[in-house]
Amino acid sequence: MDSLHAIGFYVSATLSLGGALFVAFLPARETRGLAMAVTGIGLAGIALSLSAGFAAAVILVCYLAIAALVAGPQYRSFDPLTHVAWRQAGALGAAGLFALLAYAAFRGDFVSATFYGGAIGGSALGRTLFAHDALSTVAVAAVTLVALVGATAAWRARGRSR
Amino acid sequence: MAGPGPKPVTLGLVTVMFVAAALVAVGAFVATWRSDLTAALAGIPIMFGGAGAAFAGVARFSAAGGPELIGQEVAVLLAVAALGLVALGVGIAGREGAR
Repeated sequence: MDSLHAIGFYVSATLSLGGALFVAFLPARETRGLAMAVTGIGLAGIALSLSAGFAAAVILVCYLAIAALVAGPQYRSFDPLTHVAWRQAGALGAAGLFALLAYAAFRGDFVSATFYGGAIGGSALGRTLFAHDALSTVAVAAVTLVALVGATAAWRARGRSR
Repeated sequence: MAGPGPKPVTLGLVTVMFVAAALVAVGAFVATWRSDLTAALAGIPIMFGGAGAAFAGVARFSAAGGPELIGQEVAVLLAVAALGLVALGVGIAGREGAR
């Protein structure tokens, strides 16, 4: 059973990383949206294998919505003509970031603790979200609401200007 | 009351951190490599997903003392925030860009 669990984690990690790399390289927005959906499925699988079933459900819904936004017809291209040297420098910076984070993960001395939660953890997570850390939940909800209202206003303004 | 919890697993926090680091780095790569800003916006949820995986891993393997599910909570909030940010970014880019 444990090997199946580990296989699930590694398959999910492969899906999420592969999908993310396809997001980087695929030219068409529809296929990029599909790759983003695969990334979301992989991320949800990672969360599920880490005994975070409720978080996995939320992650899956959010990333499928992100994939729909990326692949949707409201997508517009916006290219400020960045020089290729800056893009290559950014890619090298991303590689350096991975090396730094991997070194920190490898050399880090992490506390080991026994996990007493369940596989889903919906009620415990709900108590944490709405009782223990209600202010942070409200803050993120407000940020998301403002972002969605702003996006709607931007789309409506574009529709009127046509 | 806390339950007995799932069976011990062979996975460790270091493995999860490696995957999370790779996701954050790939997200940063997407954000810098794509010349189209709207396409580069897709790197943000990938980076947030990597951070969320790291938080969920800490909650699973290394949360000693205090409420144990704070890591899962952060993973959920990051996913919701990523959705809002991408929606706002695609909306703003739609005002400025061309089809």
